[in-house]
Amino acid sequence: MNLFQAILIALFGYLSSNYSPWVFGQLGGWYTMGRPLVSGFIIGIILGDIQTGILMGAAVQTLYIGLVTPGLSMPADLNFAAWMGIPLAMVAGADTEYALGLAVPLSFLGVSLVYVVASVNVFWVRKQEQWISEGKIQKAANVPVYASSVQFLARFVPIFLACYFGQEFITNLVAAIPTWLGDAFVSFGKVLPAVGFAMLLRFVLKKNMELLYFLVGFLMIKVLGMPIIAATIAACFLGFLDIRYGASGRGNGEMEVEEDE
Amino acid sequence: MNETTVKSKLSRKDVFWSYVYWMMFALSCQNMERMEAPAFAGVMGKMADKLYNKIEDKQALMLRHTQFYNTQPMVGAMVTGIALGMEEERACGKEVPDELIQSVKTSLMGPFAGIGDSLFIGTLTPILLSIGLGLVGENGSAAGPLFYAAAWLVIMIPFTWLTYKWGYKSGITAVQTIYESGIMDKAVRFANILGLVIVGCITGQYVSFGIGWTYTSGEMTMNIQGILDGIFPGALPLLITIACWYLMDKKKISMGKIMIGLFVICLAGKFLGIIA
Repeated sequence: MNLFQAILIALFGYLSSNYSPWVFGQLGGWYTMGRPLVSGFIIGIILGDIQTGILMGAAVQTLYIGLVTPGLSMPADLNFAAWMGIPLAMVAGADTEYALGLAVPLSFLGVSLVYVVASVNVFWVRKQEQWISEGKIQKAANVPVYASSVQFLARFVPIFLACYFGQEFITNLVAAIPTWLGDAFVSFGKVLPAVGFAMLLRFVLKKNMELLYFLVGFLMIKVLGMPIIAATIAACFLGFLDIRYGASGRGNGEMEVEEDE
Repeated sequence: MNETTVKSKLSRKDVFWSYVYWMMFALSCQNMERMEAPAFAGVMGKMADKLYNKIEDKQALMLRHTQFYNTQPMVGAMVTGIALGMEEERACGKEVPDELIQSVKTSLMGPFAGIGDSLFIGTLTPILLSIGLGLVGENGSAAGPLFYAAAWLVIMIPFTWLTYKWGYKSGITAVQTIYESGIMDKAVRFANILGLVIVGCITGQYVSFGIGWTYTSGEMTMNIQGILDGIFPGALPLLITIACWYLMDKKKISMGKIMIGLFVICLAGKFLGIIA
């Protein structure tokens, strides 16, 4: 990838990071462009190979499909995983499984950066209070605009450096990986999504018995071979039945039932 | 929605731009000390010139909102709308005490964060993503990412704007309406069931793990994976996923440790030729 491509990737990487405001905040950034599925598409366009970009993005997305990031708790940094992992795996000409093998360590690298940014931003909290007391209302109201520069530095610079200067290193690294280790990576990449789904399961499961709903979903795909949209409709039906006839559908009894478990 | 108070200070356009400001900058000054407070104060600061003439009143307005605040910004946009509506009533001369505005904010930010994370981030996003991933297929079709982006934006932009506007118009009564109708409970329940089934579907679709080892005794060879598939296709991926959930949820083992554990299993399994 050339200098221009690396700058573009780093720029989009920043725009799609969690605290970047410029593409309608979280809505257009983090939860649209920041999902690796979409990131891979954008990276594919920049690097001139849309198909590979999407496939790599889909592979990374699979692992993190269950990632919920409430408040400041960030179990893994999706931003670096996608915007460093996907382009580097692409320039190295590696398989999608290598993108996963690359994304996982990178995702841990970015976690501490979230806290660094949130700590530095305390400076802006002070500035805002100062400007309010000085009567500079518009300036104080623009504090979040100024503060976005901190996130820019924390995202643009590392992604640019990793993409531009890391490509040769990664290419050599991928070439040097022995077959048996590569095979292990392939197996690892295939089983790794289990961690993301387990995390999501942890979030939506309220009672252990409800694991049955999970099982039904699994059976629909794996045993019955249903396409995902058909399975979603069936899932809506199950949800409807539960609300209509289940304990929660009868109104007031719900809270007690929930707490019995 | 039966609004009797006169609200005349902010135009429809002002309300729209305050919404845009919140949606964009809610997290851009995220900090350890007050979380999203600078953005909340920012919304009020942007509207200050419309609401008050005296500089002291403008300062007081902003200072009321520099206190700790944190919620899911998209779903919680409604809370910002509610607070703006209350501030406008106050600016129009209605008796709205500081404490009321503060307590509405602090009592709503928790529930809205919870609903936002479970209903939208925990359920809607994975459903849309898994449909998108399904569309990607083997060939890397652009239909996947385009479907996800389009569906997400088409659902979320109207949703956030309408709830913001509704919150602004009806102020505190909006909250009572939601809680009393019981719609929220049912929606959360429905989303949970949907989420559970969908996670099951995508687990079946994306997790794979197979035994490559065949047992040979004399002339008889047994393909272990073949036997397993005959009993229950995908039994191993299912068990691994449930095991990961069990370790994280019940044993509080971190995601990183589980990943390392899986890698070691793959490495050892491949080395010994047990896994496919």
